[in-house]
This record gives sequence, structure tokens and C-alpha cells, in this order.
Amino acid sequence: MSIITISRGSYSMGKTVAEKVAERLHYDIISREVLLDASSRFNVSEIKLKKAIHDAPGILERYSHNKQSYIAYIRSALVERIINDNVVYHGLAGHLLLKGIPHVLKVRVNSDLERRIAIVMERDRIPAQEARALILEDDKQRRKWTHSLYGQDPWDTSLYDISICIDKLTIENAVDFICLAVESKEFRLTEKNKQKAKDMAVACRIKAALVDEYPNIGVTCEYGNVLIYMKGKDQMTGKLTKKLNHIRENTNGIHHLETHAGIEPPPEAV
Amino acid sequence: MSIIIISSDSEEIEEIIAEKVAVAMDYNRLGSQILTDVAANYQIDPVKLSEALETTPSVFKNMPSRHWRHYLSCIEAEVFDRLLKDNIVCWGLSAHLFVTGISHVMKVRLLSGGGRNIGKIAEQKGITVGRAEKLIADELRQHKKWSLTAYNLDETDPSQYDLVINLEQIDPTEAAITITNAVEYRKFQPMTYSIKCLSNLALAAKVNARLLESMVNIKVQARDSSVVVLTKASNRQKRKKIAAIKELAGDIEGVSYVEVHVKKNILTDATENPY
Repeated sequence: MSIITISRGSYSMGKTVAEKVAERLHYDIISREVLLDASSRFNVSEIKLKKAIHDAPGILERYSHNKQSYIAYIRSALVERIINDNVVYHGLAGHLLLKGIPHVLKVRVNSDLERRIAIVMERDRIPAQEARALILEDDKQRRKWTHSLYGQDPWDTSLYDISICIDKLTIENAVDFICLAVESKEFRLTEKNKQKAKDMAVACRIKAALVDEYPNIGVTCEYGNVLIYMKGKDQMTGKLTKKLNHIRENTNGIHHLETHAGIEPPPEAV
Repeated sequence: MSIIIISSDSEEIEEIIAEKVAVAMDYNRLGSQILTDVAANYQIDPVKLSEALETTPSVFKNMPSRHWRHYLSCIEAEVFDRLLKDNIVCWGLSAHLFVTGISHVMKVRLLSGGGRNIGKIAEQKGITVGRAEKLIADELRQHKKWSLTAYNLDETDPSQYDLVINLEQIDPTEAAITITNAVEYRKFQPMTYSIKCLSNLALAAKVNARLLESMVNIKVQARDSSVVVLTKASNRQKRKKIAAIKELAGDIEGVSYVEVHVKKNILTDATENPY
């Protein structure tokens, strides 16, 4: 009874590993579904969402905050999906989007660059040089994306519970490791962990509802008690009060809602 | 029947897990205790050997580059010699950086995560928690710099390892079980070719250690009992250096043929021959 996120470089066999883990543990497997959910819930095209989670923000995007909104939508959709547990997520940035939920086993699957090149060459029927450039550009984009939004390097092993190199180790070996690790008591679903996931879902819903107009807000939720942190200039206005009342009425799981203006959001805030 | 090399950002964790794995597998242990043997075999101060494993060369630290390279080469030679015996858990000697290309060696990196009790370190050293955190971060940065200087490899790069386990949430006992299970995999079983590669590296390391005692700019490759030495020398020194290398390397047990390739050292040529 757990949640597993599998992060990978492109063509690193992470998808196959995820499918086999899900099959062995009888878990649901999700990836693109999250984008489809977000797309229908927030009325944004899937392409825009995919671009937001894949490409690093351009110069203009850094000022428009569109990317922040799209990521808030994706995060909200992802948390709603995993709340029922027993899920393997192998889409982008799972380890970052689900940060704060304790029973998530975060896995990184790496593969030898030459092996990745061989896969691309065979799949796209392109020469080695082109395949290498394609992979390196993809890696660069992922690095830039994580760095610009979370200030971290996706290749930093401390972000994951296990990093497996598919080279000497096979896909089957990787599946064995993951299935063994997920049995650990730390990744088991407890009442406390379940509550944390529920609280995270509430916080994400609120953030997604407000992010368009207030891109810099931070939201925390503990046992249904919601705190919204906002910058000084975003202080309570009639419009915001109306919006918050609407959220309170239409979002399940909120006991109490409070706003803190001019206070820096804590690191765990979404 | 394999070799497990464990590396970690915390010496304490490295030792705990290595011990657990060695007990579970009934393997021999190869840790920093061998430094006293290295010191005795090569007549070096053991303190200098430990220092060489921690610091980069510096004249201010009384560790010139030439000596530093020699100390490391002696450690490498001893480690390779012992790894030939197989069924070994090795840690604390940076073997993950120099034992490369051997298929029956499994390399594991352990990240201490919350396992490294910052509060405890602060109490032991009598400093604040913030200062202890900074101290640990500096230590990690320094070790990364060391690995790059010594072997041109970043030891924090996950592609250097078969498996990286973060102990923030995973229990050390479970990590040890994962390692012991993994080492049973077919890919980590020694084969004739991988054993041959290891003995070639061991012979090269032995020759390297002998030559670095009195020379610099040495690179050694070995195949069976033939050894190829790559070095740099000026035109004037060339013959003398080749003869010295052949004599020193030829004396080592297991070496039957020595080939020396000399690259011209432009700097010494310029100082020795102004025309």
C-alpha cells in the first residue's frame, strides 16, 4: 500500500521498469493521465501542460507566470490521482510534485548514455551523432526545468530513495529492488500519512484555484486547517475574500481557512 | 563470489553497512585498517596515507603532488592485490574510483540523509547546529574536489554506481539486504574475463606504485605479463628514463616484458636546450 514515483532520463528504460513494477504489485500506473485530468479540469490544452512540465521557462515565461499556473494544475491533478494509494507514477517530476507525502518511494532509473543512444538510433532511424544531440538536449531541458522551478538538479541522488543504473543491473533486477524497498515500513500507508496526502490535495486544490491571479502564494494544510501565505501587495481585497469564500464552500476537507499577508511561506507550502 | 565496494557521504554509515553485508555474506572486509600494512610494505608514514585519502596536494599542507600520487598508488596496489582474493566487501579506500571496468564488482553508494545526526555532531564538536551543517557541506564539497583531482571522476555522480540508496527513509538493515540480494545476480558473478581484467589492473597498479616512488608523469597499462608505461621526458633524459623504467618494472614479480612510450616534454626541453 504505497505510492512509487519513477523518475528517469529519456530512453532510460524507466517506463518499462514502471510497467513491470505496477504489474507485479498490482498497482495502477499513471503518467499522461495526469495531464489529461489537468487539461479537462482547468481547461488548458494538454500540449501547453506538457510543455510546461518538460521545457525550462523561456525569458518571457519567467514574467508571465503561466508555467507556475500549469504546474499547480498538474500537481493538483497528480495528488488527486495518488490519494487512493497503490500507484506507480512515471511521468515527469513526480519526486518534486509529491514532495511532502511521506509514503512515496522515490526512484531514479539511470541508463548508460551509449545504450540510450542505441535505443534512439533504432527507434528513429537516425545516426549516432544526431541521437546523442537529441538526448543531451533533452537532459539539458530537464536539468534547466528542475533548476528554474525547484533550484535542484534532477541528477542529484539525494532527491531519491533509490537510484538504479540499468547497465550491469537488468530491468528485472530494478523491479526486484523497487518491490523490496516499497515493503519497508517507512513507505507503508498509515493514518497519519493518509491524512498528509489528503491535506496536500486540499492545499493543491486551493493553490490551483488562486494561482492565476496570485502566482506567488503559498498554501499549507494541516488536518483541514488551511493557511494561505501571500505577499504584502496581495493583501485581502474584496475580490480575494469573495474568491476564498467560494473556495471554502466548494472544496471538501477545509475546516478553517486563514490568510497571512507579508509572511514568507514555509518550505513545505505548495 | 563477488566484490562489493561501498561508498558513502558518511564514514560511519559506510562502515555500518559494510559490516552488515560482510556478516550476511560471510565475506572478508577490506577497509582503512589496511593502511598500516601499506605503510609497512612501502615504508611510508601511515598518517600520510590517511591524509592522502582526504586532502588534495598542497605545499602548505606539506603534501606535494608527487608524494600524494605515490601514496595513492601504494594504496591502489595493495587494494588490488587483496581484491584478487574475491568475496570481499571494500569501503573507506576510495576503491570505487579506481577499480573500474570489472564486471564482478558491484558499486553501491549510500546517502546518509537523516542518518547523519547533525545535532550529535554539533554536540561532539561543541558547535552550533548551523555550524555543524556548514561543516558537513564543506566536507562533502572537499571530497568531491578530491575525487575529481585524484581520478577525474565525480564521486557524487550516480552513473558511477550500480545502486544508490538514500537512508533518509530506508532502514540500514533493509539497505544491507538489498545489497546482499543484488550481489547474487548473475552479472556480478566473476568470469574468466573479468578476473583477468582485475589481475591486469593489479599488475599495472604494482608497477605504477614502484615507478611513482622516484618518477612523475607515469601511466601504466598491463596485459597478462606485458606492461606498457607511458611517460614524459626531454630528449636528453629519454634514454636514461626508459632504461630506469625497464629496470624498475622488470624487477616486479609477474612482469615479463616492459614497453616504454615517451612523450616529449616540451617544457624541460625548452629549459635544457635553448636552441
